[in-house]
Amino acid sequence: MRGLRTWIGLGFAVVLATAFSVPPGVEASAPYKIGFITDLSGPFAESFTPTWEGFELYIKALNDRGGVNGHQVQVMIEDDRTSAVRTVALAKKLVEGGAIAIFGLSSSSTHRPTYEEMEKVSVPVVTGFSGVQEALPPAKPYAYSAGTVFEISGEVGGEILPTLVPQGSKVVGITVDTVGGRALLKTNKAVAEKLGYKWDEVIVPVRTVDFTPYARTLVAKSPDIVIGHYGAEQNIGVIPALRKVGYTGPYVVAVYGVGEHAVREAIQKAGSGKNLYTFSRYISIFEDVPAVQQVKATAKKYGTTKPVSTMHVNGWVMGKIAEATLKQCGWPCTGEKLDKVLSGLEIDTEGLTGGPIRFTATDHYGTSFWRLYRWDEAKDALVPVGEWLKKDKLIFPVK
Amino acid sequence: MEFVATFVVLASTYALLAAGIVILYRASRVLNFAHGELAIIGGYVFLSMTGFAGGSLPLAFAGALAVSLVTGIAIYVVVMKRLTGQPFYVAILVTIGIGILLKSLIIIVWRARATSIPIGSGTVLTFASGARMSQLDLATVLVAIAFYFGLYLFYRFSRLGIQARGTAENPLLASQRGVNVHFVLALSWAIAVLGASVAGILYGGRALLSPQGVVVGFSGLTAALVGGLDSLLGALLGSLIVALAEYLTIQYLDPILGEAVPFIILLLAMLLRPWGLFGTREEIERV
Repeated sequence: MRGLRTWIGLGFAVVLATAFSVPPGVEASAPYKIGFITDLSGPFAESFTPTWEGFELYIKALNDRGGVNGHQVQVMIEDDRTSAVRTVALAKKLVEGGAIAIFGLSSSSTHRPTYEEMEKVSVPVVTGFSGVQEALPPAKPYAYSAGTVFEISGEVGGEILPTLVPQGSKVVGITVDTVGGRALLKTNKAVAEKLGYKWDEVIVPVRTVDFTPYARTLVAKSPDIVIGHYGAEQNIGVIPALRKVGYTGPYVVAVYGVGEHAVREAIQKAGSGKNLYTFSRYISIFEDVPAVQQVKATAKKYGTTKPVSTMHVNGWVMGKIAEATLKQCGWPCTGEKLDKVLSGLEIDTEGLTGGPIRFTATDHYGTSFWRLYRWDEAKDALVPVGEWLKKDKLIFPVK
Repeated sequence: MEFVATFVVLASTYALLAAGIVILYRASRVLNFAHGELAIIGGYVFLSMTGFAGGSLPLAFAGALAVSLVTGIAIYVVVMKRLTGQPFYVAILVTIGIGILLKSLIIIVWRARATSIPIGSGTVLTFASGARMSQLDLATVLVAIAFYFGLYLFYRFSRLGIQARGTAENPLLASQRGVNVHFVLALSWAIAVLGASVAGILYGGRALLSPQGVVVGFSGLTAALVGGLDSLLGALLGSLIVALAEYLTIQYLDPILGEAVPFIILLLAMLLRPWGLFGTREEIERV
């Protein structure tokens, strides 16, 4: 009997030891944990969801290829509904859950507080399509952006003018009454006037839905060209309103969360896409290059809820940044190590942007490249106008 | 004439909403703060219906109107009927709650999608006077006129309309005279929500369908208050006043102030003539 007890005891011991021991290879199978926060159900969900989908597509394909350094990449996704308070709380939650970096973020109002909070816990933040001046030099610790910093895109809005209208023409900018919108018009105006253009502007309330009265105000200013610094949804309202009140001159859409499907929807409603332009930091999904084909093929394989657009390309490039950074960070990787890698990162986007994305110890935004597109009615698509415009510094630096 | 075309279209949207607010107030003394939400929900329902109806707009329209009628009746039967005998502010607070609920529904069901309702083409009609209107602009004006004319005929000549007026005047007496008061009140809610839905569909078609659009309800409410909460004629006039003030502010003062105009008018109305232009003085003073 005593012998039997001994054997049973030994058996339990073996079972327990097997259950609680760490077999070889378990560490190798632990994933890299990163966080992604954006607006998935709030007021700007339409614009931000595609960036998440592009990022997710890239990471899914990456994990199917075996992950990074033999580890899968686990993305913890959170919905901030464009609330700064919520974003900070979610970022802290993700860090507590083991995230070593935060990607994405929604509107610019969420960026600064998140950068500040994540610096305290040494976790780098790489923002997506919108961007605030904190991402520009001088570099702030742990704060990076692969998106559209308003001061930069506002200036680009001025720099593209000579391609479209002769010097001396009247430019009218239109935006919503937000800090970002005003910053865009301010920098656009500064560059336009420096280049010899006349400037006027219309700022509309944030919650505007019916743009017709505002379009009439704009037309009364007799513009030769109109530049709209708007998100996707507003463009669907603004473009038809402008055409309806009789404005047929050039209208330029600055691409902030504006997918090609939204441009097409606006054109359908306006009745014509003639004289319609966009400019963007990321390539249009209409361009037939291998990298765009890869994004489309991956989207087809895994599926998306939104039509594939340049915003998916934006998210895809963020996925590339995540992969390159984790690869160089090695295993195990921490927020501090990741930050060191990011501050010397250079990635080839394979044509998805006009040049590489490069962060340095002194510049966490780097040189950006911008492309002007024209709506081609025959092709029912955007076609590039000229080459990429290189933007390596602000003409009017932020004081 | 451009100016007239713009403000008349705006006024027509507000008038469709103001009519519903007046109908509800007249019938049950409820000031409906969820009217903007009901309008935008109507637009979203229509959008979904176009999918279910295989792209057939008449079918989608019929489906959306049926849903709005059922919604109106359901709000009365499930919520408002139970508030009979409660102080008037309870019902007002409940409508605010309904508004919050409907806004959440837009996020949950339609993911807060901002889009345009695919009705009407980009064709612009240019009149001899030089005014330019889209087909939907014109439709909005015509529908508003037809809605008010229909309401006039209904309340003036139909048996049910006369019963509704009787109920509005004195529900107890109407009940004692054999009027089915609950039916009349449910019908009032159905008509009001129907008007809001039509306004939402047309608004989402000619402008933009978005959760932000619910603010249009406030313009309708202001129009109803300015005109007098128990007067349909007043609602019509109030809509013209609000739309005109909004347009003139955008055009000649500052576009940013456009959104604030209904609030300013509302404050002025409350200070100077709280019963409105055509409203009954005693009744509004109670509110």
